Amino acid sequence: MTVPMTAGSQAADDYVLRVENLGKVYGGAVALRDVSLAIRRGSIHGLLGENGAGKSTLVGIMSGQRQPTTGTIYLDGVALGHADVPSMEEAGVFLVTQEPMIIDHLSAAENLMLGIWPRRFGFVNWRKLRKDAARMLAGTGIDLDRPAGKLDAVARRKLNILRAMFSGGKVIILDEPTAALTVEDRQQLFDFMRRLKADGVTFIFISHYNDEILDICDAVSVLRDGILAGGSEDVGSLTSAQLSELVLGRGLVLFQRERREFAEDAPAVQLRDVVGPSVRVPALDIRPGEVVGFTGLPGAGAKELARCIFGLTPVQSGTIRFADETETHKLPTHPRDAFESGIAFLSDDRRRDGAIGQMSIGANISLSSLASVARSGFLSKDAELKLSDRYFAAMGIKAPSAAVAVDTLSGGNQQKVCLGRVLATGPRVLILDEPTRGIDVGVKQDVLRIVDELSRTGVAVIIVSTDTDEITRAVDRVCIFENGAIARELTGSEITNDRLRGLEPS
Amino acid sequence: MSRTMTVAAKTASPAGAAPTAKEGGRSALGWVLHNVVWIWLIALVVIFGLFNQFFFTVNNMQNIMVQATVLGMLGLAVALPLLVAEIDLSLPANLGFSSAIGAMAYSDWGLPWFPGMLVGVGVATFIGFFNGLCITKLRMVSLIQTLSMMIILQGALLALTQGRTITNLSDGYVWIGQATIGGWPIMPFIFVIALVGVGILLSNTVFGRRVYAVGGNPVASNSAGIRVDRVKILTYTLAGFLAGCAGFLLASWQMAITSNQGSSYLLYAIAAPIIGGVSVFGGRGNVVGVLGGVLLLTVIQVGLAIISVPSFYVGIIGGFMIFIAVAIDAIRVRYFS
Repeated sequence: MTVPMTAGSQAADDYVLRVENLGKVYGGAVALRDVSLAIRRGSIHGLLGENGAGKSTLVGIMSGQRQPTTGTIYLDGVALGHADVPSMEEAGVFLVTQEPMIIDHLSAAENLMLGIWPRRFGFVNWRKLRKDAARMLAGTGIDLDRPAGKLDAVARRKLNILRAMFSGGKVIILDEPTAALTVEDRQQLFDFMRRLKADGVTFIFISHYNDEILDICDAVSVLRDGILAGGSEDVGSLTSAQLSELVLGRGLVLFQRERREFAEDAPAVQLRDVVGPSVRVPALDIRPGEVVGFTGLPGAGAKELARCIFGLTPVQSGTIRFADETETHKLPTHPRDAFESGIAFLSDDRRRDGAIGQMSIGANISLSSLASVARSGFLSKDAELKLSDRYFAAMGIKAPSAAVAVDTLSGGNQQKVCLGRVLATGPRVLILDEPTRGIDVGVKQDVLRIVDELSRTGVAVIIVSTDTDEITRAVDRVCIFENGAIARELTGSEITNDRLRGLEPS
Repeated sequence: MSRTMTVAAKTASPAGAAPTAKEGGRSALGWVLHNVVWIWLIALVVIFGLFNQFFFTVNNMQNIMVQATVLGMLGLAVALPLLVAEIDLSLPANLGFSSAIGAMAYSDWGLPWFPGMLVGVGVATFIGFFNGLCITKLRMVSLIQTLSMMIILQGALLALTQGRTITNLSDGYVWIGQATIGGWPIMPFIFVIALVGVGILLSNTVFGRRVYAVGGNPVASNSAGIRVDRVKILTYTLAGFLAGCAGFLLASWQMAITSNQGSSYLLYAIAAPIIGGVSVFGGRGNVVGVLGGVLLLTVIQVGLAIISVPSFYVGIIGGFMIFIAVAIDAIRVRYFS
């Protein structure tokens, strides 16, 4: 609150974008209350906050997608009256959303020029389009003729940022641009942003990760419950703990699992000869109560193996054997079989592959264990309510009741619903694919704690993650995947953030 | 509404009372829009009744309910694939074709009328099952696959009947379409049984829950352990069965099977569930809504006939009445969901 208030009287020119006393009310809910902040020209300004703290609302207003209930936006010191998306883009303010707005079957060049095609006599001037695109893409390593659908995640994000720039972007707002990126990709994206910053572009950078904010931002503002909880124009003076405290409004205790050695225990589950598309694992044993991390570059096999075990990806071969059974089984061919044999899986892509948004929290929780709350096909409402209420409470889902539709919840709470659903099946093996991606630091600790407690009851847990910090905090053993196989394993004190990061090939 | 109310209560601002009152008005409007099909239905009944007193007679009410039966059975059938975010355009053609098969089993193959009728319903059920197989296992697009099936079945019916109308139906076969208990026709009871049966299936069984889940998000449903293909095939099969029953009822009621039997129901059978709130994107809707849609369409049809609107204008007026219902529903979805 303190820093930006002085901005008004100073040379307005220092600040490219300034908002004063912004408020936004949806229905009866206050999303944003009296927020004032200023973005210095040519800086990277971090925006931090929990899910639902008002970050998206704020940048939505800044980019003209939403209209504020109260308050004013100043661009280059001039107060804007009504601001909508075309007028903000005209003025040079662009919002780059989490989902890159890219048309998969068009080439990189065409995507770059989407809507701003160079024209000649009303026709698209393809030669000029290619020439301009080639100039923009020089040095980015993106092939301009490649269909955008075949580009990797970083290239797609870059393409989106470039498009914003090419359309005359002076202020580019990035909404969680690093979600789903590896450490490597992240650095590449940051280098790219720094280069553009040197050319005078201003960035507003939304992230859940303190280390990213500390790494790349010049200034930071933290939102909490719709108000500006604090901030600094000198990020260097802040520590990660201070940032977390601002975000949560209390001291945050980061979760750290007490690691155990499991070498002597009889395995809870034995995987043998798993061969599937781009994965080949001859043998893997997991002990009861052990938490194993699967990590590696995208496509290296960590996620692929997890999906094979759950029956989402068909395998050429592969068997599984549980501790209390004498015979080995083929890997399941459908998630239904997997659940029935005690394997549960939580997908990394909540939107596509997680909860059923229009159904209630309760119905989502019971969805994978309907057989256990039904008699000869008829649902027992009492049994279902008991099951869903139990996990609704155990997961600590923030909602008025379990009857609320899931798509009204924030991402973190939706993830808790999905976790509740898979836990309600009573699994022996629990596979979590990027369980904390895109959820805020507070909920993240909750999720890791729930998994930790579950492992103490003897459930074998696999966590697939590219977040090295999460891996070091949550697991007993790490399998590092390369070329579809487990290249190395780390256990106990060998598991450190640095070692995991260093192991990423550069 | 209760959810927004609690949120409003939590953010107790100095002007706390004002938004609450506004919320109340909003919720009343929401209730009206939410039940627009039923309000519009009652309004039309009153309007038609004012034009012609005959509309309020028991006789006419019975007539409306009988008329609603075939459309209702077909509307329920159409609603099922819609709930899993697919569509089956072939159901009305299935109705006509399967009833002709059932009638021919009696007249040409010498089966008694009852097994003959079962053959007809069985054929309809199998066609539904086959449609389900095509759209799941062969990944055919349901819109086009069932469109082609519709054309095939319409053509097959024409070929079977050689353009003639089948009228040599046995007394047993046509009994249910004519029978009354204490002056009340039996046909609507069949519809009520189907309505309640499908209602229980959708809201009280594991299968019903899976139908809504698959319609809401098929990819997530698969990961949640639902065999999506199986659920879709079952809904198509059940839809075929209902269309077969509707075919029997229509033939029994009319005591005839024309060479284009059922075709005229196509658009109404699709409109009824959608008017009643069944989403074409899947996962939303219930049988009460279907009932509302069916009654609304039937009342419009019967009402326009009773107040002697010249037949040249029936189409355009009926169309506008449906348009208004759908437009109000669209407004509701836009502002209240």
